[in-house]
Amino acid sequence: MMFNYILSKLDGIIMSSNISITKRFEFSGSHRLWREEWSAEENKRIFGNSANLHGHGHNFVLFVTISGEIDDVTGMIINLSELKAIVNDVVIRFDHKFLNMDTPFFKDILPTLENIATVLFKLIDEKINSAGVGKLKKIRLQQGNSLSAEVWR
Amino acid sequence: MNISLTKIFVFSAAHRLHSRQLNEEENREVYTKCNNEFGHGHDYILEVTVKGKPHTQTGKIILNREFDTAVNSVIGILDHKHLDKEIPFFKENISTGEILIQYLWGKIDKKLPDNLLYYLKLWETNNNYFEMGRDK
Repeated sequence: MMFNYILSKLDGIIMSSNISITKRFEFSGSHRLWREEWSAEENKRIFGNSANLHGHGHNFVLFVTISGEIDDVTGMIINLSELKAIVNDVVIRFDHKFLNMDTPFFKDILPTLENIATVLFKLIDEKINSAGVGKLKKIRLQQGNSLSAEVWR
Repeated sequence: MNISLTKIFVFSAAHRLHSRQLNEEENREVYTKCNNEFGHGHDYILEVTVKGKPHTQTGKIILNREFDTAVNSVIGILDHKHLDKEIPFFKENISTGEILIQYLWGKIDKKLPDNLLYYLKLWETNNNYFEMGRDK
């Protein structure tokens, strides 16, 4: 009751804003950027050392942003432990894996940062939708300290 | 679905904030320590975001090599320079972050394929940044 009272007082300040919640996750994985139909020189020219024969790895940091209505009772868009469980369920498939071989997602597309982010977005989006709490707004996938990709609606 | 790629670049430069339209005293008042006569410097951190559809064959919005070449060709000119004394544009324009980010936008946009540049964030210090974007 108190919460509704506060919200009604703040109506027009809070209610008119977009509110989101973001949680951070980490996973480590390896990948290789290589197209079989291209020569070694072409692969090297396009992908640089990402084309190295045995793959290489990164520590990925994933930020998952959920938006939606704030629940009257809990004051939350989504319960953070629920979000954690949902995202970990996806991330576990990528963590400590060779993405090209150990996951089914990169048979037809290369595991570039952009494509990994897109796959993660789709997988997390499905799970958030079936959980029926909040809406996946955006993900940010960081590879090392200087490169990141974002996917949003 | 929207996909973007962001890369962080660093350059260091000196500058002094000083407006020709103000007298010495007014300059000191407006810009305080940034008006210091012999200038001062920053390690600028520039976040460059491109947005587009990843190429079907490479899976990349832009190849890392091309991204680096485009941005470095612009910031390489500023790195370890005194902006106001050595960069012609800043002889006419005050080198505030607001103006520097517009300079960077204009130059980087020209070096990248059409309509790829989406957003810039320029950190002047750890405590302040400037942003410029297409629709963000």
